[in-house]
Amino acid sequence: MQAHSIGLLPSNAIGIKPIAMKTETEKTETEHQQLARWLSDVAGSRSKAAFTELFKFFAPKIRQFAISKFGNEALAHEIVQETMTNVWRKAHLYNQDKGAPTTWVFTVMRNAAFDLLRKINNSKEDCLSDDFWPLMEADDDPVADLAEDKNRTLINEHLQELPEAQKEVVQGFYFQELTHEQLAEQLNIPLGTVKSRLRLALAKLKQNIGDNHD
Amino acid sequence: MIKHHPSHDLLVAYTQGELPAALAAGIAMHRELCPACQADIAQLNEVHAEQHFELAEAEPIGLDMSAMIDAITSSDAIDVANSYQHKTLTVNGVSYQLPAALNNVAAGKWSGIGGIARSRLSLDDGDIRASLLQILPNNSVPEHTHNGFELTLILDGSFHDDMGSYVAGDFIMLNGEHHHSPVTDEGCLCYTVLNNSMHFNKGLNKLLNPIGKLIY
Ligand SMILES: [Zn+2]
Repeated sequence: MQAHSIGLLPSNAIGIKPIAMKTETEKTETEHQQLARWLSDVAGSRSKAAFTELFKFFAPKIRQFAISKFGNEALAHEIVQETMTNVWRKAHLYNQDKGAPTTWVFTVMRNAAFDLLRKINNSKEDCLSDDFWPLMEADDDPVADLAEDKNRTLINEHLQELPEAQKEVVQGFYFQELTHEQLAEQLNIPLGTVKSRLRLALAKLKQNIGDNHD
Repeated sequence: MIKHHPSHDLLVAYTQGELPAALAAGIAMHRELCPACQADIAQLNEVHAEQHFELAEAEPIGLDMSAMIDAITSSDAIDVANSYQHKTLTVNGVSYQLPAALNNVAAGKWSGIGGIARSRLSLDDGDIRASLLQILPNNSVPEHTHNGFELTLILDGSFHDDMGSYVAGDFIMLNGEHHHSPVTDEGCLCYTVLNNSMHFNKGLNKLLNPIGKLIY
């Protein structure tokens, strides 16, 4: 299978920015489309090429997370291995209609790290993490409730503080009253990414609004 | 209606995977019953994912990655999804549906006297102990003192004390300085986490024991 590699190799590793012409927003959206497609190729056809691309994108970031958290190179290596093994074995549990691919891999990584530490610190091999932090939601997590009228003014006031990618989903959803599906189509991003961005934007708005009203 | 939720700091620690198993389980069970915290948790997951996978600049790994990739992809096996079907528990003739978070947690033999029965769960982590506690109708929760913290999460039924009433889903975190003796009219099943020691690790101590006050 032909691997799609535009813009997803760690560009600093080779010293060029392959998608320098694109804006930050477009970059993130291309990434989500691409990452979701690779996950689906791994799930559907066990594509090693797609997995290799996922590995190149995520492994350095996972390693960085683990080193900054635990300060231990050997443990970081194990967390990369565990997380990426689970991405390979559980990719079919990812549903791109429910959340962004990056959010799903974050869950896989956090879960792998939890099980590994419980094994090291408590000699327990019970692997409880997927019960405590489900990898597959039975239903969608609710998108929060900032949408009431009294909040719209506040949202509007703080909208400019959001990055472009998040601003456009908030505008589309709360002010143009588009559905998640319409937004996904209009912005050409996976449905789950629309939901993810909306949650993220609301988390930030809540934070910013709270900071200003303390 | 649920009135008592985990603190924001506890939700952050939960979503970062930093809590001991017994507390992570408690928040997971509250999450199953509380749409408000479910939404907060989903938002926090997005915040962490953005921080680690979209904003962070990572050093290239350097090492040859192909060996690890080969090893991982050498097996075509896949993992089946965990079951989110709820287990049913029957104690003293009363049946309860357990939260999915406890699906793979072993419960010990039930023991007790009068209207109170307890079963230890296999969620030990250092000095932390987790149990299921059943209190039959018209009994009071046994009074006890301890130095550490105590989490009570009502899974079924309700109880009340001089501060008010508590229903299924309420997440009640107390420290050793607080005393209460709730009474249940209809009976209840609770998930409890106790730590009798003041010697938490530093991070936990900050989360659970800020200046000896109530922490909900
Ligand atoms: Zn709650």
